[in-house]
Amino acid sequence: MLEIRDLHAAVNGKAILKGLDLTVNPGEVHAIMGPNGSGKSTLANVLAGRDNYEITGGQAILDGHDLAELEPEERAQAGLFLAFQYPVEIPGVSNMEFLKAALEAVRKAQGKEEWDSVTLLRKAREACKQVNLDAQFLKRGVNEGFSGGEKKRNEIMQMLLMEPRLALLDETDSGLDIDALQTVARGVNSLRSPERGIVLVTHYQRLLDYIVPDHVHVLSDGRIIKSGGKELALELEQKGYGWLTGEEESA
Amino acid sequence: MSLPSKQQGLELKTLAMENARRSEAGGALAPLRGDSLIALEAAVFPDRKTEQWKYTSLHPLTDGHLRTAADGALPEPLPNLAAHRLVMSNGRLQEALSQLPEGVTLHRQAGQRDELLTPFALYNGAALTDAITLEVAANTEVSAPLHLLLHAASDAPAHCQTRVEVLLNPGSKLTLIEHYIGQGPVLNNAVTVIEARDNASLTHYRLQSEREDTLHISTLLFRQTGVSRIDSYQLMGGNRLRRNDVRALLEKSGAELNMQGVFVARGQSHIDNQLCVEHRAPHCTSNQVFKGLAGEKGKAILNGRIHIHEGAMGTLAELSNKNLLLSPGAEIYTKPELEIYNDDVKCAHGATVGQLDAAQQFYLQSRGIALAEAKRMLSLGFVNELILALPDESVAQWVQPWLAGELSQYPGANEEAA
Repeated sequence: MLEIRDLHAAVNGKAILKGLDLTVNPGEVHAIMGPNGSGKSTLANVLAGRDNYEITGGQAILDGHDLAELEPEERAQAGLFLAFQYPVEIPGVSNMEFLKAALEAVRKAQGKEEWDSVTLLRKAREACKQVNLDAQFLKRGVNEGFSGGEKKRNEIMQMLLMEPRLALLDETDSGLDIDALQTVARGVNSLRSPERGIVLVTHYQRLLDYIVPDHVHVLSDGRIIKSGGKELALELEQKGYGWLTGEEESA
Repeated sequence: MSLPSKQQGLELKTLAMENARRSEAGGALAPLRGDSLIALEAAVFPDRKTEQWKYTSLHPLTDGHLRTAADGALPEPLPNLAAHRLVMSNGRLQEALSQLPEGVTLHRQAGQRDELLTPFALYNGAALTDAITLEVAANTEVSAPLHLLLHAASDAPAHCQTRVEVLLNPGSKLTLIEHYIGQGPVLNNAVTVIEARDNASLTHYRLQSEREDTLHISTLLFRQTGVSRIDSYQLMGGNRLRRNDVRALLEKSGAELNMQGVFVARGQSHIDNQLCVEHRAPHCTSNQVFKGLAGEKGKAILNGRIHIHEGAMGTLAELSNKNLLLSPGAEIYTKPELEIYNDDVKCAHGATVGQLDAAQQFYLQSRGIALAEAKRMLSLGFVNELILALPDESVAQWVQPWLAGELSQYPGANEEAA
């Protein structure tokens, strides 16, 4: 479903991804690990279409759509979902209003039936419950004044409602305590399905104790330098990244 | 035809004087007209060099707007925001369409002569053909809001003088919705004077939703001659020329004034707000929060003057004006202006001009929301705190479609880069 071939990308003109290949098939969970600055978050943002993240070579194809040719909203409508590393606060726009606009746009584009406001509210409450987020958060401004953990859970809550074809989670584990981590992992695991691909971008192996990946890739200097099964993550946890990149990883 | 600035001021004044002498109204209005004409003779009309008018050109007035408008056709159906409604069309009371709530009496006259400092307010007094004064009886709470529908319409360039005065007697309470509508090349030169006496309380709305081809110059004067409270909510769309001079006089110790507002200038429209709050007595409070938006070639101005007189000890005065530019060609000018003549005051002001946040736009887009809709949502979010604070349900209902219209993608606007 996601086919990335020889992807080159630059951020504000600086080359970050330098020939990345990755294939994600439906039903698979991939983890992308790597040291700081290796290009993990760049990959997530390039795929989602953030401004100033520019594809300079190669291709990323999602279900036949060349992502480079789609606006960010069209990528979401095509089934891509990015859980942000740093979710944005939007005071004045309520979470509920935001979900309504997002789900209307995405479900319409995907030819799914629209949810009336009663259905939407019920589904949103269920999703909140699933990630241990009080339903009061639906009334508040988007991420406004949320703690770090609440923001991450809000991302997963949105993901549950959007039912994406491909979910990209950008360091969703960072800043979470162990309880929140388990909650988030439960949410992600509930979305595992033969129809859906999941890509976890993470710095630490910790998350992978709870969301067990089918494939683990190590990204370094804009390229995948090693791929393996879930045991590769454990090996990385023991040895650090240095044995692969040839550099000393600082603590 | 463009005239040198000085000459333009003189020409406007000559036209205004001629028109004022020609127009007719008898009886109760004669003394006000006479006095205003004398004052007008001594007044100086602004030109582009006048500081308070430097962002607003009066050039649109030189193509015939200083002729008195004939009757204009009222829209069908008339907007209806409250149980009781008074309608003025092109400056004249429409008795058949008007109904007064209990506790309010109406006089076809106006008396305010002092404190109206702008030449256009003097012109209003000199040339008016009708006027209403509403008096709320002492110790009377008028339970339902009063909808004051002020209409102006003309097919040819013309103007009308709208004049409303409201007196809140001691212990009275009123909710007044001052609502401007209209269409066509007509200048509504309006004066509203509101006096609040001891223990009076007013909730005031000012809704300016005329079509974009209209012109509007207005002077709003609040006089708090007693220990009173005024809460004023002002929602203003831009049009071909909109100029609001708002002056509040806090004249008795303990008076409190709250003004909140949202102004929006889209397309080619213009809106110029000149606010002046005068603390003349000690221990008065004024609080002002305004938010402005401008898009395309729209131009919005807010000048907020706070004048704290000698002897006005214990004054609390605040002014905040935040603005959002929606496109590169739009203009916003904001300036707080403080004049403080004693030490014992607490005074705060802040003004900002920003643009839509790219990270917020991307966040919404990444959830499937198209860019134009994302911009609309963020613009609405920017003013939402003021909208949610509107206390009356009927106005809260009115504001939703109005704001949606003001903030939707402007027809003819080019798709801009994200």
